[in-house]
Amino acid sequence: MKPLYINGASCISPQPTFGTEFPFEIKEYHGSRLACVEPDYTPYIDPKLSRRMGRLLKYGTTAGLQALRDTGVQVPDAISTGTGFGLLDDSGKFLKNVIEAAEGVVSPTAFIQSTHNTVSSNIALAVGCHAHNNTFAHKGFSFESALTDAQMLATENESIRNILVGAYDEVTDYSCQIMQRLGLIKTSEESNLDLLKHASKGTIAGEGATFFVLSPDRGAKIYARYRGNKLLYKPASGAVLSSAIQGFLAGHGGGVSDVAVLSGLSGDQRRDTLLQEVNTGLFEGNTILGYKHLCGEYMTSTAFAMWLGAMILHSRVVPAAAVLSGTPSCPQHILICNSYKNDYALILLSVA
Amino acid sequence: MKAPIYIAGIGIISAIGDDVAETLAHLTASESGVSGMEVLPSAYAGTLPVAEVKYSNAELAAISGLEPWQTRTAQLSMIAAREAKENSKIDFTKWRCGFISANTVGGMDRTEDFMKDFLADASSGDLHDVINHDSGDATEIVAEKLGCTDYITTISTACSSSANAMMYGARLIQNDMVDIIIAGGTDALSRFTLNGFKSLMILDEQPCQPFDENRRGLNLGEGAGYVVLVSRRVMDSEGIKPMALLSGYANANDAYHQTASSPEGNGNYAAMTGALQMAGLAPSDIDYINLHGTGTPNNDVSEGTAIKRVFGDTPPVMSSTKAYTGHTLGASAGIEAVISILALANGVVFPNLRHQTQMKELPFGPQTSLLEKPLQHVLSNSFGFGGNCSSVIFSKL
Repeated sequence: MKPLYINGASCISPQPTFGTEFPFEIKEYHGSRLACVEPDYTPYIDPKLSRRMGRLLKYGTTAGLQALRDTGVQVPDAISTGTGFGLLDDSGKFLKNVIEAAEGVVSPTAFIQSTHNTVSSNIALAVGCHAHNNTFAHKGFSFESALTDAQMLATENESIRNILVGAYDEVTDYSCQIMQRLGLIKTSEESNLDLLKHASKGTIAGEGATFFVLSPDRGAKIYARYRGNKLLYKPASGAVLSSAIQGFLAGHGGGVSDVAVLSGLSGDQRRDTLLQEVNTGLFEGNTILGYKHLCGEYMTSTAFAMWLGAMILHSRVVPAAAVLSGTPSCPQHILICNSYKNDYALILLSVA
Repeated sequence: MKAPIYIAGIGIISAIGDDVAETLAHLTASESGVSGMEVLPSAYAGTLPVAEVKYSNAELAAISGLEPWQTRTAQLSMIAAREAKENSKIDFTKWRCGFISANTVGGMDRTEDFMKDFLADASSGDLHDVINHDSGDATEIVAEKLGCTDYITTISTACSSSANAMMYGARLIQNDMVDIIIAGGTDALSRFTLNGFKSLMILDEQPCQPFDENRRGLNLGEGAGYVVLVSRRVMDSEGIKPMALLSGYANANDAYHQTASSPEGNGNYAAMTGALQMAGLAPSDIDYINLHGTGTPNNDVSEGTAIKRVFGDTPPVMSSTKAYTGHTLGASAGIEAVISILALANGVVFPNLRHQTQMKELPFGPQTSLLEKPLQHVLSNSFGFGGNCSSVIFSKL
């Protein structure tokens, strides 16, 4: 399938990634939950509307609209997005209202907003986009499915030139409490910047909204080239993962030594086993970068990783805080190598 | 021209049957699945009719082979997707196989039990009830059981979800990423959706009357419907005779309102014309339209207006089968794909139950009695919240 140019990008995350110059100033947190640095929404959303909107709907819509503005595209030719949990806060809010009212009279606002496709359709509504509109909600494959959707569209239809692709998720009080009870996130007050320094139990919860304008055409400004992605469900061993990585890179005319690795290590030793194995085996000698200590762990964190990778390739600056091992020299290609439980994903980016 | 995609198998469970044979029997006998609420524990039992699968979770688990604590969404999905796989008679082990499912609520049926205890005390609530919450969970459980793990994903675009799952599956095959895809959707009834639609005041307190002048709203339903999509290569190599061709499809957006459809039905119009264009068909080639036809005042007038724009004043025979199955949300396009393929294969149009009065805005109405007629091309519509509109065309080979 056709590689696509990343002609526009926008990222709202727990780091100051929105409306700032790259490299951004690294923000340190203590505790197990990283929340988005929220921008002023008024340039993007009518305040009358935003008062009724949940947090994720606001930052998701804003990130999408900003990616379009960044490119100078008013109406994209398609919109495809991914979200792990959807609009979790509105879901929780509506459920609470229903339970507390004993199924009596409740306001529909939170219910309307709780639908997984609310962000992608709200962007369509905001810009008047009647084209293809999709939302994937599949754990660690959500964002990657949207990328493949975009790549197939560009291959299938000559008239599709600008595709808005993004992903978004949020942490809520409820989800944080539940993850803590499940032992998925740490209980210590350790700095997020130390998350990947030593493996222990649990990770830190994160969130964010990241959007790209992908196109088969070279835009006025190109951050990087998106080459393709590969999904692997439950690879049986590090050897299976290694061979899939080699096959994926070879399929794109490259080899292991060509790439810097942007690894989805989460700091949870129970979940990082296979990623660690390829980092120290297959990728021995490669530059290994990390990102989940910056944005936290969530189902669509690879969208943040793709933004970080594209910014590195574009600016030729590798933020020191992202380097886990190897020399921070500027790579020509970045391979994102992620896992979210059973879902393993590879995404390949190259300099424009 | 894109490579053709064939339907090699179908599977279904809903209020009108546990499988394809029971579903066909009830459709042919004009027997609706809408009735009083017996399984869902809700304050609206006795007042709001629903189209339930009349099995407890434990009974469903006995059929599906999953654990009783796993979500109802997964149980329903397993039963229908397994039937589709077996129905295809294909040896899946020889091919790259994927599972593309759709749903809107994920494991909400268990989460809402959990939340009752959790809201009272954050350290209580059975964690088993919440770990399967996200939409992708049911998909992975079923994909693994069916050996379809070469490509797995889940689509959640409200009521058009499973139409988009079928399209995505077809495109994965056309782009040579897989050989076989089981695609469709599943959704279980939950207090969450019941109260949500109640709060929007679009639920009918009586059995619904789609496309009727005096329609009052929709009845919620539950179930799952899947199709097995294969390439020509699989078909030839397996020596199978497929049931239908997936000849056209389109995904468009109304971009009008978060929950309401535009009066002109712009999204609906774009979806139908897009599907016709891909199939290389003229509107007059369509022999039957399986309507989205929810029974809400807004949907039916918007959809009817769009049909008038595409087909003129004398459109093909049409019916909504939601008077049988209720509105099964994320499963509806999968369920209606199976019903459309049954119509095509058996040369029969299932009636639009309980229709009495033609809508004043339209010069036509739906088919109200069983009609036997050879069908060549069937159009199935699915429109949802967020303006997500999708249409799919199935053709006889």
